[in-house]
Amino acid sequence: MSGSMRLSGGQVDHDQVLKFTWNGNEYKGLGGDTLASAMVANDIRLVGRSFKYHRPRGIFSSGSEEPNALVHLRSGARREPNTRATVAELFEGLEATSQNHRGTLEWDLLAFNDLLSPWLSAGFYYKTFMWPKSFWEKVYEPFIRSAAGLGSLSGEADPDAYDKGNLHCDVLVIGAGPAGLAAAVAAAKSGAQVILAEEDFQMGGRLLAETYEVNGKPGADWAQETVAQLGTMPNVRLMTRTAVFGAYDHGIYGALERKTDHLSNPAGKPRQIMWRIYSKRAILCGGATERSVAFGNNDRPGIMLAGSVRAYANRWAASAGKRVAVLTNNDDGWRTATDLVAKGVEVAGVIDTRDREPLTHIPGAAVVTGAAVKDTSGRRALKRITLTNGQTMDVDCLAVSGGWSPNVHLTCHQRGKPVWDEAIAGFVPGGTLPVGMVVAGSTNGTYGTGACLAEGRSVANAVVKDLGFAASRAGAAKADDEPSDVTAFWHVKDSPSRAWVDLQNDVTSKDVKLAEQEGFRSVEHLKRYTTLGMATDQGKTSNVLGLAVMADARGRTIQETGTTIFRPPYSPVPLGAFAGRAKGKDFRPTRLTPSHDWAAEYGVSMVESGPWMRAEWYPRSGETTWRDSCDREAANTREKVGVADVTTLGKIDIQGKDATDFINRVYSNGFAKLAVGKVRYGLMLREDGMVMDDGTTARLGENHYVMTTTTANAVGVYRHLDFCRQCLWPDMDVHIISVTDSWAQFAVAGPKSRDLLRKIVDADIDISNEAFPFMACADITVCGGTPGRLFRISFSGELAYEIAVPSRYGDSFIRALMAAGEEFGVMPYGLEALSVMRIEKGHAVANELTGQTTARNLGLGRMVSDKKDSIGAVLSRREYLNRDDVWHLVGLQPVDKSKKLSAGAHFLDKDAEPTMDNDLGWMTSVAYSPALGHSIGIGFVKRGGKRFHDVVRAWDGVRGEDIEVEIVHAHFVDPEGERLRG
Amino acid sequence: MRTLSTQKGSGCVAEFTLEAKPVLGGFTKDWSGTTLTELTNLAAVAVSVPAGGEKKLSAALKKSYGDGVPAVGESYVSKDGARVVGFAQDQMMVLWDHPPHGGVATVSGQLGDTGYFVEQTSNWVFLELSGPLSRASLERLSALNLHPDVYPVDRAERTIMEHMGALVVRTGEDTFLLASASSSARSFAHAVETSLDWVS
Repeated sequence: MSGSMRLSGGQVDHDQVLKFTWNGNEYKGLGGDTLASAMVANDIRLVGRSFKYHRPRGIFSSGSEEPNALVHLRSGARREPNTRATVAELFEGLEATSQNHRGTLEWDLLAFNDLLSPWLSAGFYYKTFMWPKSFWEKVYEPFIRSAAGLGSLSGEADPDAYDKGNLHCDVLVIGAGPAGLAAAVAAAKSGAQVILAEEDFQMGGRLLAETYEVNGKPGADWAQETVAQLGTMPNVRLMTRTAVFGAYDHGIYGALERKTDHLSNPAGKPRQIMWRIYSKRAILCGGATERSVAFGNNDRPGIMLAGSVRAYANRWAASAGKRVAVLTNNDDGWRTATDLVAKGVEVAGVIDTRDREPLTHIPGAAVVTGAAVKDTSGRRALKRITLTNGQTMDVDCLAVSGGWSPNVHLTCHQRGKPVWDEAIAGFVPGGTLPVGMVVAGSTNGTYGTGACLAEGRSVANAVVKDLGFAASRAGAAKADDEPSDVTAFWHVKDSPSRAWVDLQNDVTSKDVKLAEQEGFRSVEHLKRYTTLGMATDQGKTSNVLGLAVMADARGRTIQETGTTIFRPPYSPVPLGAFAGRAKGKDFRPTRLTPSHDWAAEYGVSMVESGPWMRAEWYPRSGETTWRDSCDREAANTREKVGVADVTTLGKIDIQGKDATDFINRVYSNGFAKLAVGKVRYGLMLREDGMVMDDGTTARLGENHYVMTTTTANAVGVYRHLDFCRQCLWPDMDVHIISVTDSWAQFAVAGPKSRDLLRKIVDADIDISNEAFPFMACADITVCGGTPGRLFRISFSGELAYEIAVPSRYGDSFIRALMAAGEEFGVMPYGLEALSVMRIEKGHAVANELTGQTTARNLGLGRMVSDKKDSIGAVLSRREYLNRDDVWHLVGLQPVDKSKKLSAGAHFLDKDAEPTMDNDLGWMTSVAYSPALGHSIGIGFVKRGGKRFHDVVRAWDGVRGEDIEVEIVHAHFVDPEGERLRG
Repeated sequence: MRTLSTQKGSGCVAEFTLEAKPVLGGFTKDWSGTTLTELTNLAAVAVSVPAGGEKKLSAALKKSYGDGVPAVGESYVSKDGARVVGFAQDQMMVLWDHPPHGGVATVSGQLGDTGYFVEQTSNWVFLELSGPLSRASLERLSALNLHPDVYPVDRAERTIMEHMGALVVRTGEDTFLLASASSSARSFAHAVETSLDWVS
């Protein structure tokens, strides 16, 4: 036996018994159960506490609209809060616990909030806790925060995997109820590529929950056969457990597939997949959601939606009560009574708010028409209802039907405005639907199985025809249309007790009226002021009811009152699914240099440099800090020879008859006369005259160049060149392609660099100073014929080269360089030593190329040629950028050489207060210079170029430092450049 | 690494010789009949169409590779097995089983001065994805519609996979050539591998 309330039949597997625990107690359910249906079958009434008043709550619905039955699912790091028990598929060993209570679920200490309800009405926090002022942050807010919220996270890292993906189809059918299945069959038969997405784990929609017949057989059987038929068609993709949660531009839909949520162990597979579905057309067959009626104490456990009570009985073979009453304002509610009686469940009464003849005979039931339920009693479970005529009924379940609201949400995701249809007392799709979307079935306000089947088919046929497919001639499946008359009935005004409109947010009809009284009359204001329609259910069962109460309070129609704007997601999507696999090391790709493995063997310390992993220093035995390694590497490079992997610099191959002219236009300095076999430093400006990037460009042939960029700007510069080539000067014969990853490039720097390279480059290549002077370049061969490139350029200021080989030889090449340099004392050097040496030479990097600095700021004003036009040249001449007091990049050294400089310090004159008006500039880069034996820096100082040897203060308010520094030339080491030309 | 006997063209003995190392070390893995394999011997040379020179280049391509300049997103295979891929505006990529060096020399030897050539072999990692799970794994990575009717054999589109630029060439019924930047090859292979792990 899988529960005392278990019935026979249904869509569950009575032979598959599944054990689960609820608050530590073990229960049994069946295959095909949801957690909610298994709880209903086990007569578990109290499942949670309400958000604000901590009132006892029970299962209210049977689908994704559930406002009450929010639970913690699983345990430990896998614990997931706020899971709707109504959509959680039961599996062996499922663990669920209740949430949002202090103490036990049965004895929740915070239930005293309910006694304070007169003071906790809508917007109470705007009106209370105002005194004493100091209590707000220290007492009130911490208390409210600790009491607020529903479930709680485990606090541990989520161990599960999530993924994303992309799907394409001609026709996306959303929802696999009668209309959706009929639409999918029709679309599939035309040959179109069809995706049928269903939120439930079983396709069939309401056919699974009803006793209707289709084509002369039970509707559930017809659905099963239809799904089986669709499953055999190669052009159809069936997706159960897949909620389409958003309609986006260009026919793109967001969908969440719960891939392994129904398994006790995901076995390393993703829990959920976030799909982006590209559709040419979408047919929305999202069904409708039943709503409640507002009457006194309508939130007690055991008060449920009538269609859900019916669904538990018919689909899940579980009775929601032993003695049930039905409150309805429509014909559909009566079916709950007839179906329950057919299942052997006692129906105490049917209360129809309409003053009409009974729709049918319900054996054993008292039928009351023209009345409603006024109040209820029973703290943790419903015990009694009191009708407006004074009659009482002792029942443990009240099935309420206030009518059905079409699920129009997706039609509104691009500002579609639903329209009120008085005939069905519900909003139907209106205004502009998302491009390519059509609607069928009850989402369209079409109630009745036969009508839904016919509409699904006809809509699909029209869609496929529009797409150029031949529509199938097969007729629609046949079914009767059930009576579905409804007369709107929203709330029982003379109820003595609070009547809930929104169960999830504890919003009562009184709150809605209060909002109206206080001027929050717009539905958008109503939502924010009362929280109506927020949280996991997004008001699926409450929105229309709330609007109706507001409309009544304002004396306006519901159409005039309007709706809030429905936005994605339609149903909750875990943040993990949005992230997909992009977490931890998979957050973004990692780029490795060709010497990465060699460096790792060497014991390198790596650092992230954008996506690149770069060597920052190579520690040696006995070195205790990074400075030990860095100082040694810098000193060794200046004294002997060092090797650094500079592959990360952007490299762009530029060819074409107009390549020279092109480069001359994108660089501010002249390139027209650069000889073949020569390299030149280039400065690139943005259109606004600010410096964009710098680098060297080598002329390898008459019409062939290779440009280098900074590591950080490699992509930006390439994009800029492509824009220039394609958009600004499309007639130029210029062709670019990135070769950054093609070449493993190493800086070989230091007085012994030439000696080292002589052992590497092939013997027929003369690299003497005369044959291969500073700023020379050549295609060469190395190590016995491997192609390479050699550039005589220097970032360190030493005699230096950059040498490149195809990157697949990079690992082998670094090993050869180190072996060849052994006799010369070669050492690898990392980013820190590289930075020390460039600061010693006053070379700018990203710290100085901030996007807000000009060539003049950098001391490179003369590089903006006035003999030609180039991008940015005109705007770089703006008067403001060329006034006398602009910043100049200068060197700084402490007056007291024992002091350590800090980047970010601002410069002030000696007696000046640290104010914005007195600010002279800031320190951009600092280093300890092994060559000079003290700290040095470079930075921008107003009129700095005219203040050499002045002493100013480097004031650092963050670190509390105030150091006297002398303004000097930025070239600390070898200012004449003799070494690099040597 | 250190050798004493390698002879080079000039007649001198090189003290060092270099060994090409596949960026993924020749990676290959099987998922019940779906395989992911690093192609370690594929050469790549980019060929750009000079302004106004398409006819001339097209004629040279026809002569050497059997067809003209492919449209962007299209590719064809020459009778010698070289694949010519329409890669970008006025740009194509020639892929073929390569000798150790001289990719540009090989292609320019065929096409003369009708185009601009750039060595690209080391710029890319090439993976062959083949088998029944190939599409299911790629739909987790790319927005391309790889349905056989939409993405016929020889289709060659560029896309983004996990933030990495990629070229996807359908080379057979369930076989795709994937190319991405060599510096992020391990991340790229990991992305495809993860997809295969998860769809298998």
